[in-house]
Amino acid sequence: MGETAVPKTEVRCPVCEAPVLAGDSFCEACGHPLGAPTCTSCGAPAVDADGYCERCGLRQPTGRDHAELELDGGTAGVTDRGLRRSRNEDAMALLATGTQTVVVVCDGVGSSPRADEASAAAVETASAALARGVSTEEAFGLASRAVGKLATSVDDAPACTYVSAVVEGGRITLAWAGDSRAYWLSTGPRPTKTDPSADTQPVATDPPTVTRPVEAEASTDTRPVGVVPAAAIRPAVTGQVVGTQLTEDDAAPTGEITAWLGADYGDVRPHVRVLEPETPGLLLVCSDGLWRYLDGYTFPSTGSPLDMARAMLRHALDSGGQDNVTIVLIPLGDAHG
Amino acid sequence: MGDQPTFTLHIDQNKYLPIDGREVHAILTINSTGTVTTESATPAEAAEVIIIDTSGSMSGGKIREARAAAATAVQTLRDGVHVAVIAGTDRARVVYPNGPQLVRASAATRAEAQRAIGKLSAGGGTSIGQWLQLAAQMLSAHPNAIRHAILMTDGQNNERADVFAAALARCEGAFVCDSLGVGDDWVPAELRKVAEALLGTFDFVRNQGDLADFFRNLTQTSMSKTVAELVMRVWVPQTATLKWVKQVSPTLLDLTGKRTDVNPLTGDYPTGSWGAEDREYHLCVEVPPGQIGSEIRAGWVKLLRPDTQEVFASGNVLAQWTDDLAQSTRINGKVAHYTGQAELHELIQDGLSARAAGDVDTATARLAKAKQLAVDSGREDTARLLDKVVEVDPASGTARLRKNVDKADAIELDTGSVRTSKLRKNGEGS
Repeated sequence: MGETAVPKTEVRCPVCEAPVLAGDSFCEACGHPLGAPTCTSCGAPAVDADGYCERCGLRQPTGRDHAELELDGGTAGVTDRGLRRSRNEDAMALLATGTQTVVVVCDGVGSSPRADEASAAAVETASAALARGVSTEEAFGLASRAVGKLATSVDDAPACTYVSAVVEGGRITLAWAGDSRAYWLSTGPRPTKTDPSADTQPVATDPPTVTRPVEAEASTDTRPVGVVPAAAIRPAVTGQVVGTQLTEDDAAPTGEITAWLGADYGDVRPHVRVLEPETPGLLLVCSDGLWRYLDGYTFPSTGSPLDMARAMLRHALDSGGQDNVTIVLIPLGDAHG
Repeated sequence: MGDQPTFTLHIDQNKYLPIDGREVHAILTINSTGTVTTESATPAEAAEVIIIDTSGSMSGGKIREARAAAATAVQTLRDGVHVAVIAGTDRARVVYPNGPQLVRASAATRAEAQRAIGKLSAGGGTSIGQWLQLAAQMLSAHPNAIRHAILMTDGQNNERADVFAAALARCEGAFVCDSLGVGDDWVPAELRKVAEALLGTFDFVRNQGDLADFFRNLTQTSMSKTVAELVMRVWVPQTATLKWVKQVSPTLLDLTGKRTDVNPLTGDYPTGSWGAEDREYHLCVEVPPGQIGSEIRAGWVKLLRPDTQEVFASGNVLAQWTDDLAQSTRINGKVAHYTGQAELHELIQDGLSARAAGDVDTATARLAKAKQLAVDSGREDTARLLDKVVEVDPASGTARLRKNVDKADAIELDTGSVRTSKLRKNGEGS
């Protein structure tokens, strides 16, 4: 009797849970097609042609509610409405131009009107500018003006955060304002050397200079502010992904952002940072809908960047999905050897 | 390919749930034009068994009327239909043909059957379960036919309740049976069990002279069936519970206990044979708590032929959570109407049971409330019958049970409570 234990890796039908063989097109027990798209809520590969999950019933988000993008080099992004907001005010752009990869993520400021228009205008303007070779600062300025033009008055000023990343030949150029972030996810051995123009800081050992621990404690909001706490970072053993925050939030101790793109802010200037990671890894660019749930989180270490982004989105949704979630992953070096 | 089956399935519901909303209600309206051409494209065969109570209580005028009625039913059968006639006492006996097989109706066999029916005489007890089991056994030789029986009785079943229940269980799914009760000595609850188990109707023939008309109507309705057996296949999400599936029109029939599992999320509910008709069903699904704005398919309904898996109609029952009270508190008119009709049925049944048990207070309260509900929902006939059982003072609202109630009135009220009214046009569109 004890010999009938099934291997843990066994594949099961998402609907009737009968064991199925990997590679089968249909479940032999119930006839359900296998290999259907994955549900954004329960994770079952059981989304039917009508867009409903055949296990949990959820109608899959469409359009801006949920979007996924994947570039040829593996760079991938997902953006999702989350579970508590009526619409997705995050926006993302991913472009590959010859040797460059350009990513822009903006998060519409919830207290501003038409924040979804602000984030859309900013990512569109900035990504197009960066792709045609405009400098990081200039692209930021163009995006800021595009958002500013959406306002009819100071009292009707759509606003958004901003983070851009240009990756070319192992060099990352970041620009940001507000609380959207970039992280370095090291998939190889611990980085031993950092680019002199910048630094990647393995948080587990070195107290990061960008951290703002006072804010985290003073905050009435429970979400972490600043850097991923050291507790979140596991030792860099083989196969373990180590995450390091690269950006510094423009945020008050209460969590409100202190810089944004919008007519009611005026002449906003970006933070800029350049770095060249020594080890293989992934650049993560995300909105606060993800990073608020990174405390204690173990980053996925297998799968394509798109698979990993989906897994991270599921983590954000499982953790409450309080805000819109946008996640972009850009592989650098031999990240998937 | 042949013509498409002409079934339509329409779903009425308010999909919006408040944040803590867990129950999703929907009314499914299924319309069939009856002119169905299935993929198998063979004309539907029919098999009909006529069961006549020939117990001792039938002697005299009743057996004469029963013979005339059974003869009328045989006369109504179209050529080619398989037929048999069973006489029921404390045992069941095939009176036509001479043997356990049904015969095809023709001018000759119809005449033979009528001669055999003419010789029926009354004497003996009443074992309805045995009659039905003989019918099931004979009809099992025609698995692809539309299998139907008409059962007529005038008396109380002499079988023990557990014996009767076991007999009904053995007959479930074997055929559809419509029953008729004659006179005022039969028990509506017993024929209700037959109707519930065998997906048929049961009716009260108040004037025995009308018996032939009832037989003719039932036979004609049976002859008009064109699809032998359809099931309603219902899927609900893994984390949801299908609380009930009820037919609510033309009569109330709870199908919840008749589920056959297809897989953990999906079950089949029998609906019997179909002709040109409208039926309505009430589904209730309990869903897990949801997130504002998200929409789920709370139920996926298909009407299908179990032998070929051919789907004739399908539809989605939806649920969407909202914090907009204007949306979540809107009541769907059809759901409210049939919820009311089911409540009316329960009030009448509870009231009559309490009355029979001598619980005057409960009987008075239930029947008075039923009367108000009957008036409000346009059930004039039911209200009129309730008025014969319970008296409500229009000024004070005080109710009391009437004395000397005609037994036939109580039976008619009891029998008719499963019938529902359609929602009036002006009540729609909410």
